[in-house]
Amino acid sequence: MIAMFRAVLYTQWKWSRLIVVLGTVAAFAIPLLSLQGAARADRGALQTQDLLRAVQSWGTLYPLLATALGLLMAMAAWAADHRGRHIHALTLPLARWRYVLLRFGAGFVLLAAPIAAVLIGSSLAVLTATLPPGLQAYPIALAVRFAFAVFVAYAVFFAVSAGTARTAGIILVVIAAAVLVQVVASIANLDVNLFAAAQTVLLLGPGPLAVFTGRWMLVDV
Amino acid sequence: MSHAIHLEHLQYRAGKHFEIPNLDLHVPSGSIYGFLGPNGSGKTTTIRLILGLLRPLSGRVTVLDLPMPDQHAQILGRVGYVPEQPHLDATLTVRELIDFQAAFYPRWDRARAEELVERFELDGEHLFGRLSKGQKAKLMILLALAQCGDLLVLDEPTDGLDPVVRRDILSALITYVSERGATIFISSHLVHELERVCDWVAVMDDGRLITEAPMEKLKQGTKRLVVMGAPAEIVNPPFRVLTRESTNGGGTGENWVVGDWEPGMTSYFEGVGASVREVIDLDLEDGFVELLRSFRKGGTGR
Repeated sequence: MIAMFRAVLYTQWKWSRLIVVLGTVAAFAIPLLSLQGAARADRGALQTQDLLRAVQSWGTLYPLLATALGLLMAMAAWAADHRGRHIHALTLPLARWRYVLLRFGAGFVLLAAPIAAVLIGSSLAVLTATLPPGLQAYPIALAVRFAFAVFVAYAVFFAVSAGTARTAGIILVVIAAAVLVQVVASIANLDVNLFAAAQTVLLLGPGPLAVFTGRWMLVDV
Repeated sequence: MSHAIHLEHLQYRAGKHFEIPNLDLHVPSGSIYGFLGPNGSGKTTTIRLILGLLRPLSGRVTVLDLPMPDQHAQILGRVGYVPEQPHLDATLTVRELIDFQAAFYPRWDRARAEELVERFELDGEHLFGRLSKGQKAKLMILLALAQCGDLLVLDEPTDGLDPVVRRDILSALITYVSERGATIFISSHLVHELERVCDWVAVMDDGRLITEAPMEKLKQGTKRLVVMGAPAEIVNPPFRVLTRESTNGGGTGENWVVGDWEPGMTSYFEGVGASVREVIDLDLEDGFVELLRSFRKGGTGR
C-alpha cells in the first residue's frame, strides 16, 4: 500500500506542482505582507486600529487561497483519470474506495506545503514585527484554521470532481431548481428564502463551510 | 477443461440500441482465444463486462475461477489488460508509467519490463502523449506482460498498426504464452491476424455469439461446396448450411457454404439425389464472412 501511495503521490505532484509551488509562495507571503509596517512600538490607539484593519483586509485572502488551492488540487487529482475515462484506474488491482483514498490522501499531503508556509510565514511575520501593546499574535491558530479550510475545500471539490459530467449536471440542476423556486416564491409573495436557509445551514457554525467566514486575524486583541 | 473466463447467461443493455441478450462464453485456460466480430458487435462491451468495468443486468462472470465483480481486485491483480484506446496519462513518461504500474502489481517482473523496453526500442524519457501509435501500443503491451498475469485481455491491440509493429507485438505475446502458460483473450476484426496465433475462436455480431470453437475445427469444418441437383428442401443434414445460392452459370448447380463439415458427408447428398462436384477449403476470413452473412439472414450460427 505504501508503494501504491508513493506512486500516486508522485503522479499527483507532477500534475499539480505549479499549483503547490505558487500556493506555497502566496501562503508564505500573505502573513508577511499583512504585518508590513507593524514593527513600531510607538503606535497610538488610532494606528493600532489601522494595523488591525490592514490585518483584517489581508485576512480575506486566506479563505480565498484555501478555496483556490482546494479547487485546483481536486481538479488536478482527477483530470488524468477523466481524460482516460477512468479505464486505467478501474482496472488497477485494488478496491475502488482505496484508490479514491490514495488520490485524496496524496492531494492532502501536497497541500501540507502551503499550510506549513502559512505557519512559517506567520511566525516569521510575528517575530520580525514589534506589535503595539494590547495586541496578540495567533500564528498557530491561523495555520490550523487555514489547514481546516484547505481540507474542507479540497474535500468538497474532490467529491464533486470525482463525479462524472452527469453528476456535475445533477448538481447544476439542483442549484437551478433552487433558484427557480426562489424566483417563483418571491413572485407569489411567499415567505420562502431557500438561500438564507442554505446560508444558515452551510455558513453559520457548526455548518461545514463556517470555517471560511468571519475574520481571519493573525494579530488581534 | 478449466476455463480462464466463463460467462453464463450474461445480459446487458446499453441504451435503446444495443443489447447483449444472453451470452455464454467459455475461454479454456492456456488458450489463445480470438474474439472476432465486426465493429459495434459488442466485443469491447463484453470485455468490459469480463473486467468488471460494466455491470451485467443478469448472469454470471467468472474469471480465473473467481466471481466478477465480487472479487475484482484479486482478479485484476492476475489480469493484464490492453484497451482499445490508449488510456494512460499523456503527461507521464514511459519510465514513470512503468514505475506507477509496478507499484500496483505484486508479481511485477522488472527484468521483463526492462527487456521489453529494449526489445520494443522505447525511450524511457519520452512522454506517453508524444509516442507514436505503434509505440503506445508497445508500451501498453509491455505493461500488461510485465504484470505476469495468468490472463491477458487485449482489445484490438494491433488495430491500425503497421505490419512490423504488429509482428513485434504478436511475437512478444506468443513468447509470453509459451513461457508462462497464460491465457490470452484477444479481440479483433483483423481475421488473418487471429488465424495465425489463436487456437480457439469465437465470433460475435449484434451482441450475440454466432460460434465458439477450436480454430482447427472451425477452419476444417467450414467449406464451400459446389452441389449439383440438390432438392429445394433438405431434411436433417449432418452439417450446418450457412448459405446456399445458385452458381453464376445457371442450371442446377449451387454454391453452398457449410459448417461442421467432415470428409464422409458427401454421401448425404447421394442419399437425396444430388452430388457434390467440389469441396473447397475456406480460410478463416471467408468462413467468418459466411458465418456473419448466415447469421444476418436469420441463421442460428452455431
